[in-house]
Amino acid sequence: MKIEDSFEVSAPRERVWQFITDPETVAGCVPGCSGVEVVSDTVYRAKVSVKVGPIKASFNMEVELVEETPPEEVRSKSRGEEGSRASTVSSDNLLRLEVVDDDTTRVHYSSEVSVVGRLGKFGLGVMKKKAESLGRDFAICFKEKVEVAGASA
Amino acid sequence: MTAGPEFLRPSSVEEAVALLAEYEDARPLAGGATLVAMLNAGLVEPDAIVSLSAIEELRGIEESGAGWLRVGAMTRHAETAASALFKDGQWLVPHAASQIANMPVRNMGTMGGSISFADPAIDYPPALTAAGAEIEIAGKAGIRRVPAPEFFLDWYTTALEEGELVTAIHIPPAPAGSVGHYEKLARVSGDYAIASVALVLAVEDGTCSAAQVAVGACGPTPIRLAEAEELLVGSSLEAETLAKAGALLAEASDPVDDVRGSADYRRRVIPRLLAKAVAAAQTRKSKEAA
Repeated sequence: MKIEDSFEVSAPRERVWQFITDPETVAGCVPGCSGVEVVSDTVYRAKVSVKVGPIKASFNMEVELVEETPPEEVRSKSRGEEGSRASTVSSDNLLRLEVVDDDTTRVHYSSEVSVVGRLGKFGLGVMKKKAESLGRDFAICFKEKVEVAGASA
Repeated sequence: MTAGPEFLRPSSVEEAVALLAEYEDARPLAGGATLVAMLNAGLVEPDAIVSLSAIEELRGIEESGAGWLRVGAMTRHAETAASALFKDGQWLVPHAASQIANMPVRNMGTMGGSISFADPAIDYPPALTAAGAEIEIAGKAGIRRVPAPEFFLDWYTTALEEGELVTAIHIPPAPAGSVGHYEKLARVSGDYAIASVALVLAVEDGTCSAAQVAVGACGPTPIRLAEAEELLVGSSLEAETLAKAGALLAEASDPVDDVRGSADYRRRVIPRLLAKAVAAAQTRKSKEAA
């Protein structure tokens, strides 16, 4: 399934780039994300828990940066295993920063996500809605972090 | 492979609530129509299953005064569908019950279990929302009652807190002389709805005097809009008014794309289902009068 959206941050692109490439900042804004581990310059690990109604799932995610074009674009791949279950999520992600004006940046993101295993039995339609709402939560949190940091700078 | 969940069978609501609090991830088991399927699919893995089947006070439908009905949470869909206690527009609820899945599921599934899972495509949430029902919930703090729109909160998410369970559904009297109707669009009889419209309607001398409408399966929760109902009340329910009200409801919807239909298709059928439901309700009324 494809998840695609964008949001605006009141900060210059250079600063947004700094934040969006910082694993701690990004992980802190991903709902249900904990235990970030920087494996190398391009590989991160973290645990991500998601809950939809009575269904709870927790994935050990590994994110790999495939290509960086500062301060414009990041391509990454992520893959997560759900404990010992034969249940995985994986995604190809593209993040792009667009200059709106000197103090405004639009963050575009798109992910092609595939879900295999027990969660695949659950309606993909609802999963997509859930992913979209997690994306909006991320945007609100990220925007605030960048803008607050800008205000105190 | 770990040992399965504990199976517990309390005989009172108090005992059930105490057991739910005792375990970290206990699940109440009502009819099992959904929970058992989810257990089999490995989607939920509770450490305890608290069966509600031995709790007498959760069973049956009764008149509770001033035209209200109390439907015990463990009342099976088949019993609701066959009940003669639903008067006027309240009939919407048994009409919806009669269209849930198939006979074996209707013999198993319960109203409390169904709404607690709150699958967005099931039939009771829109029916209970249109009927103005209130949900009775028991927890450690005692009993509380929540109107349907405050019970259904998000995809598969209700006002139920950890350790709480639905004990009854209270259905208020419908406007005098009103009729109820549940219009369900599904790929085949017994499937989940692509979209549905639940309706309580009263018409006097050709003018609509009361309208309660809720749309199902087109968003995280049922859609009920005061603006849409205000358009209908006082009108003669002509095609143009129905189309306007339907358009408002479609605009407020947030449907998913899935195997049953695209989001766009669902938005398009909402106004048509509303018109169909209104026509069916009026036909039923004229048959009753004859």
